[in-house]
Amino acid sequence: MNYSSMMLEVAVVVLGLGLLLADLWTPIEKKRNLGYGAAIALALVLIWSFQWKPVEDSLQSMYVLDGLALFFKRLFLVSAIVVLIMSVEFAARMEAGISEFYALILFALAGMMFSASANDFSLLFVSVELITVTFYVLTSFQRNRLASLEAGVKYLIFGALSSAFMVYGIALVFGTAGKMNFAGIAAMAPQLAGNKIFLLGILLILVGLGFKIAAFPVQMWAPDVYQGSPTPATAFLAVGSKAAGFVLLLRVLFTAVPEVAAHWTTLLIVISIITVLYGNLCALPQRNLKRLLGYSSIANAGYLLMGVAALNDSGKSAILYYLGGYVFTLLAAFTVICVVMREVEGEDISALAGLNQRSPLLAAALSMSMVSLAGLPPLAGFFGKFLLLKAVTEQGPVNSAYYWLAAVLVIGAVISLYYYLGVVRAIYWSKNPPKATSICVSWPVQIALYGCIIGMLYLGLFPNRVVESANRAVAALERPGPMTAVAHASGESR
Amino acid sequence: MDVTLEHYLVVSGVLFSLGLLGVIMRRNLLVIYMCLELMLNAANLALVAMSRYNGNLDGQIMVFFIITVAAAEVAVGLALIVALYRRRQTAHVEDLTSLKS
Repeated sequence: MNYSSMMLEVAVVVLGLGLLLADLWTPIEKKRNLGYGAAIALALVLIWSFQWKPVEDSLQSMYVLDGLALFFKRLFLVSAIVVLIMSVEFAARMEAGISEFYALILFALAGMMFSASANDFSLLFVSVELITVTFYVLTSFQRNRLASLEAGVKYLIFGALSSAFMVYGIALVFGTAGKMNFAGIAAMAPQLAGNKIFLLGILLILVGLGFKIAAFPVQMWAPDVYQGSPTPATAFLAVGSKAAGFVLLLRVLFTAVPEVAAHWTTLLIVISIITVLYGNLCALPQRNLKRLLGYSSIANAGYLLMGVAALNDSGKSAILYYLGGYVFTLLAAFTVICVVMREVEGEDISALAGLNQRSPLLAAALSMSMVSLAGLPPLAGFFGKFLLLKAVTEQGPVNSAYYWLAAVLVIGAVISLYYYLGVVRAIYWSKNPPKATSICVSWPVQIALYGCIIGMLYLGLFPNRVVESANRAVAALERPGPMTAVAHASGESR
Repeated sequence: MDVTLEHYLVVSGVLFSLGLLGVIMRRNLLVIYMCLELMLNAANLALVAMSRYNGNLDGQIMVFFIITVAAAEVAVGLALIVALYRRRQTAHVEDLTSLKS
């Protein structure tokens, strides 16, 4: 294997270890500033990642560096930078070990970047576990807060259960196909498509990945964990962990077992419909902002699954575009929550009253992200939903169930208007806002917020460039590799 | 009597189901955690048996990964359960109710 293609991940891991070492020589009062250093270093890695070109001929190896992998690696780097800035803001609320918090974010980031390149079930398993195990610690990092501990334990039990399912699924798939490599399994898949044990294995693996994205039968953890975790950990969980789940889902379904994905259209459609309706309906009565975003993240997983269920290239590139917009939107929302809820314990929506007088920037950023999540033009969320709708209706003539899917997407978006705009109303039109004490927003947070706002506006107003790069990235999934072609030929000659 | 692949797979399936049953039915966090480890080991057994059957070492390498990851998971998980116990003096799932809407 060619290790030089892994230099981006190596850089992130080395940065994390270096951070732990630097912690030893940093005086206590300066420790929180290590986060800024890590964010700057990650920004350099992000700039470096644009020097990389997709490598085309590595399909048989465990690790691929195609356009899809690079797209997601950049997404993860952007989110980690903002999350680090957010954690510096959060440092005062953790009693000790803020450098470990930064280092764990970097290790989780390395896991996500590996998962973007996984082309083999063993790398898939190890990278997913690297993400999950670091998140056990991140979610329960405020050890003196019961809510955080409880969130950590719930994430631990559900996470360990879903990884047990995934491992058993991998064992069954390996047993029937005799291979771990996605391309190798794709070559065997036509013979295996009717094998019940193989299908059970794929189903168990999908359960494990469904846990990461919080899709319907395995979504119960999301609201509790989102609510209890420290806000930066919640943000990274909502953005990075979900995107990692989706890149793995795309790779497993469309590189390893495209035949099975085509057979299971009905299952995918039903799951995405239930996920969207469940997330949106349960979000309606919520008063806790983080819990509300937890349910909204379930609903968004449902929208993204619609792109998977559409089984066409426009659906896949819509997923990439939607996730790009989602990253900026959610990071803006969580950054504002992190700053505003400094004084309030409950994260109740009423704490936002009069925010536009206390800090116009925070109010604007939060309401823009809510508008974008609700899918109103001209922000990123609108165009993402539009692309998904287009991809789903394109498939309508093939199977009329897709029209139902499109209808559910629209219904879900209409339901979600109520609770997203409820947050905006709390910011600007509260009945009796408390007396206005202005919130001081540090300049790195300002930069992060302006960056997120620009990202939302840019993706919403000028989507062409991102859509084009998403199309190019998705093309990598369908490329018939040399190994697949050879295996097909030998299968026919027999 | 020859011990064939089926025997190993049946044992691993039984182990997996026992683990899953335990996770669903038991109320003590530590017991739930033990049942989760049982499920992982069921997968290990299946992987080793199938690796031997296929004549392909990939499965056994995977088992090493799983053992390593499970060790890390146990280290973190037990620390978490102990921290929760110190705070609440309980390790029962019914008592985890502070997060509600």
